[in-house]
Amino acid sequence: MAPPRRMYPRAKTGAARLVRAAPWPPSSSMGFVADQTPAPDAGLLDGYRPGPGFDEAFEADGSVREAYRRIVERFSQLDAGELRRLERLVADEFRRQGITFTVYSDEEGTERIWPMDLFPRLIAAAEWDELERGLTQRVAALNCFLEDLYAGEGAAIADGVVPRWLVVSSGGFERNAMGIQVPHGARCNVAGIDVVRDGEGRYRVLEDNLRNPSGISYVVENRAAMAKACSWLFYDHAAQPVEQYGRMLRSTLESMAPGGADSPHVVVLTPGIFNAAYFEHAFLARSMGVELVEGRDLVVDDGTVYVRTIEGLIAVDVIYRRVDDTFLDPVVFRPDSMLGVPGLLGALRAGTVTVCNALGNGAADDKAVYAYVPDLIRYYLSDEPIIDNVPTYLMWDPDQRAEALGRLDELVAKPVGSSGGDGVMIGPHADDEELAAARAAIEADPRNWITQEVVQLSSLPSFTQERLEPRHVDLRPFVLTGERTQVFPGGLTRVAMRRGSLIVNSSAGGGSKDTWVLAPEHQ
Amino acid sequence: MKLDIRYRMHFRYSEPVRESQNEVRVRPRDDETQRVVSFRLTNEPPTKVLSAFDYWGTAVEQVGVRIAHTALELTAETSVDTLPRPAPPPDTPVEALADPDFRARHFEFLDPSPHVDWQTGDSVAARAAAATHSARSVPDLLAAVVAEVRGALRYESGATDIGVSLEELLAGGAGVCQDFAHLAIGMLRSVGVPARYVSGYLFAADETAAGDETAEMVSVQTHAWIEAAVPGAGWCAFDPTNGGTVGERHVVIGCARDYGDVPPVRGVFMGGATAEVEAEVVIGKRPAVEPAPSPGARSWPRAVTQGPPLGSRPQQHQQQQQ
Repeated sequence: MAPPRRMYPRAKTGAARLVRAAPWPPSSSMGFVADQTPAPDAGLLDGYRPGPGFDEAFEADGSVREAYRRIVERFSQLDAGELRRLERLVADEFRRQGITFTVYSDEEGTERIWPMDLFPRLIAAAEWDELERGLTQRVAALNCFLEDLYAGEGAAIADGVVPRWLVVSSGGFERNAMGIQVPHGARCNVAGIDVVRDGEGRYRVLEDNLRNPSGISYVVENRAAMAKACSWLFYDHAAQPVEQYGRMLRSTLESMAPGGADSPHVVVLTPGIFNAAYFEHAFLARSMGVELVEGRDLVVDDGTVYVRTIEGLIAVDVIYRRVDDTFLDPVVFRPDSMLGVPGLLGALRAGTVTVCNALGNGAADDKAVYAYVPDLIRYYLSDEPIIDNVPTYLMWDPDQRAEALGRLDELVAKPVGSSGGDGVMIGPHADDEELAAARAAIEADPRNWITQEVVQLSSLPSFTQERLEPRHVDLRPFVLTGERTQVFPGGLTRVAMRRGSLIVNSSAGGGSKDTWVLAPEHQ
Repeated sequence: MKLDIRYRMHFRYSEPVRESQNEVRVRPRDDETQRVVSFRLTNEPPTKVLSAFDYWGTAVEQVGVRIAHTALELTAETSVDTLPRPAPPPDTPVEALADPDFRARHFEFLDPSPHVDWQTGDSVAARAAAATHSARSVPDLLAAVVAEVRGALRYESGATDIGVSLEELLAGGAGVCQDFAHLAIGMLRSVGVPARYVSGYLFAADETAAGDETAEMVSVQTHAWIEAAVPGAGWCAFDPTNGGTVGERHVVIGCARDYGDVPPVRGVFMGGATAEVEAEVVIGKRPAVEPAPSPGARSWPRAVTQGPPLGSRPQQHQQQQQ
């Protein structure tokens, strides 16, 4: 069998670098240094072979990274039976509380218990500090772009930073959002930025989610479950808390009230119980202490939005909506939709209510526009991007397309509007038929495809029911913007369940991990 | 020309409805050839009217009535001054249309849109290509398309519904001004000419004749025509319904990709009622328009849309342009 291959992002001009994975265990000629923490010699991590790619917990030479030293010690003292018992405890807890996710495609029951792996992800304080700065910078630039596009002069387009036709032809561009003003120019109030670590361990942004990113409820619930099942793990770590999300979100949303209302009335708008993220909508309303409403609970009168209550109509200032743009107002979008609020767009244009996130954010998380985000950071903030993109090629560009189609088997092809991994083709894992289908799709509609270098995601020890083995992970941190931009500590770590798999989506069998941002004393 | 325009829409429901919300696009725009002297939209039952401009620059009035009602009346009164339009487009060669910058600037008016649903190779594109293959200049090409549309369609009130496709139109061979405009736009786009839909008012008793009127006042419906982008000359207007030029008798409300971007009224209401719409545009030379008649004093020309009861789902208000 051929040795596993590491896939590094390739420079746009450079030739492919083919790097063979290091043999394991490393031979003595690789040069051990004396003061390394040895890998545990027995138990769950016995024979742990990281890679290919960057392992979060172990160095390439097998020594434990400093941030993970104590957690590795703890897990080394467990056996598989004990870990299985703890996992059942967590699953039972999730089942009791109804913490599930939805698989739309499955015909036998669509609700699944949320899967969490017990080995946590740790992020050292200094590492988090840089991530936090990079994410703040990125979301600030994206907010500048959206505000410029919908409520400003369109300066970035006029100055040629990004082509107008590309933005306007985006499926997420919303003409009806044009001219709607929002407080503080904050149009993306909750962003979920998916980051991965490449073969060298550098963080890179894989995609921006600026419409209705979900997953934060699992971040909070994962922590609560960990604290219950594995309280002993927390004794020797100071992980930044996550249970304050509801308070943070509420104050962010309150700062978005039109005209700076004194005690703004916030509601969460959900499509209803059949939505995949309904659990999260209910969670958010409960943790903020606000009403969870459906479209039919709201009504517009004389340009003001009201919620119907048993005490009569009560004016609403801020709607945290988890309903897609095109379902928000049947007057403007789909006349047959029951999910929205007739007249809402008129109220938005009149500025009597704020909808968070704003309409039309899809223009900025279109994957073809994503390619321009580093330039947008330079343009709006006069700053170099702190976190890079994954090298991305625009298929509408004839030169980039020709080059990419010539080596499609080495690249990832993605439809620009997809989410959750839908329609993504991973070249090195695809057969001839899949490659031909992707090629045909790209040639038929080049505007709506990008290709990217394969990023060999970083890995973390994950429980296989027998032992801990490396599994690939990504990270979705959440960034809140109201009067100011704040990065919520940690985020949702998703983990692929099969060895070597790069697919971390829960709809494709992925799991999750509790994510700890360590306090500075751990440095 | 100094014109007064009164546009009255009357919705009548078979039983009480509530929570009616409507977007109304009836206010003429201000531009180089027309100036709005005054505009007023009144509604009965009376509620607050919110005004804004949409992406295309068209004024939108938002009218909502929450309480139960069995009729809704909207009256838009405009005084506007119009000037003759600039000279017809220069003798630009058709090759100028292929300029990539020109195409990128106008791409929204080159692609198919919901009501202008031509496709490469369909009968719309084929007829347009055949009609224009010998045209060497853009004005020749525009004239050929207008002639082709007028040959393909005869004017027939009530021949079509709002959702008709271009191929259905060609097959049916009849339509109203909205259909003439959509077909002309589709043919122009299919041969590479950026084209857009114009919603407005025409001061002419017969919209199929080219406005050589002597009447001081007419009672009509809203009108629709088109504009085509000509390299080096900007947007040039044509009226395919009557084959004539667009001049000071045409009053523009707004321009966009097709009817769906500039409908005079679009809305929903809650209730199981059936709705009937009466609409009339009265245009006269200022100050010739008589005061608004009291209800029932005269019979209004009727354009009726009627749908089956739909329970308590939101229902639609819409109205075809003729």
